[in-house]
Amino acid sequence: MKKILTILALITSILTIILAVLPISNLALIPGILALLFGFMAYYVSKQSGKIKKIVPFTLWLTGVALVIISFKAIFNKSEVENTEALEAKETKFEEEAIEELEELDLEEIEIDDSELENLDIE
Amino acid sequence: MIRTYLLLLLFVAISGHAQNTAVSSNEKLVYTASYNMSGILNDIAEVTMETSAVKTSKATLLRLKCTAATYSKWDNFFKIRDLYESYVNPNNLTPYLYKRDINEGNYYKNMKYTFSHKTKTVKSIQKKRNKPEEAKTISIKPGTKDIVSTIYSIRLLDYKNMSVGSRKSFTIVFDRKELKGQITYLGKETISTAIGKKECYKLAVGSSDTNVLQGNNSNLIWLTADSNKILVYGKFKIPVGNGELKIKSATGLKN
Repeated sequence: MKKILTILALITSILTIILAVLPISNLALIPGILALLFGFMAYYVSKQSGKIKKIVPFTLWLTGVALVIISFKAIFNKSEVENTEALEAKETKFEEEAIEELEELDLEEIEIDDSELENLDIE
Repeated sequence: MIRTYLLLLLFVAISGHAQNTAVSSNEKLVYTASYNMSGILNDIAEVTMETSAVKTSKATLLRLKCTAATYSKWDNFFKIRDLYESYVNPNNLTPYLYKRDINEGNYYKNMKYTFSHKTKTVKSIQKKRNKPEEAKTISIKPGTKDIVSTIYSIRLLDYKNMSVGSRKSFTIVFDRKELKGQITYLGKETISTAIGKKECYKLAVGSSDTNVLQGNNSNLIWLTADSNKILVYGKFKIPVGNGELKIKSATGLKN
């Protein structure tokens, strides 16, 4: 029982620290809670048998570090979009091309009434 | 993923030509797209829907532009930079020219549709990485729109006079095929959003293509129950899981 709990605590704590450093860090909460649960159970069972192996407090420490990373990322890391220069350049290029293509089309088909256009907030 | 989100968003269209009383020419809506992983939602990308006026020598059209970009933390794993745009009649949002530029990881695709409503055809040009350009003409039904103009067209429907359970059908041309879809009006609901507490029209979205939308009433969208009828929240169930679309900001609204 003690061995199984210790192995489970170790596996879940390693999984927690791996997930914590990835962008999906909030997923680390699930193995994190399990790691704490298995870790404390392993600690309790070991204490009753009289000898606590160093690996048990290590798994608890590892999980603690992972939870600090998760909390830090949740509080301070904002979701931001970067490196959009190429996309912005493409937007401008597409618009210029589109205007040229629209010039070639039979726009009378659209049947735009200019009086209706006046009602739009076109700047 | 983002393609699917947009596909999901598109599933409402207008039969006939409703007048545009909801979409302005300088509107900007920003959304956060989240994906459910093991029961926990992860913000994956930012979706922006923007409108602007485009002047040609013959007319002034409305440019409807949708962009999707993954948040920087995901860029090293899976970078998405997608651009969808449609040039439409500003009065009824009938599309004239549609462009789609997909850049997702190593996948690249560019699609252009030129609508001819007189001949009921769409001339398409498809470009893919390391593949020759493909041109194809598709016959369309009257009222068929592209994905972007369809998303905007849902806002032209008169929900005030709809009874709960009433349905509207629509046809969309996507990936050079016509797709059939329908929306079901589920009534009003007040929800909290990043732009405040909003009374909304709740709609269920369905498709004839069962590979896109899954489940019965599992794909829902909420439009503000005011004259702008902007999309503020969406919940989707797709073949690879489920996700949400939440509004972050809304500027330049018509009303």
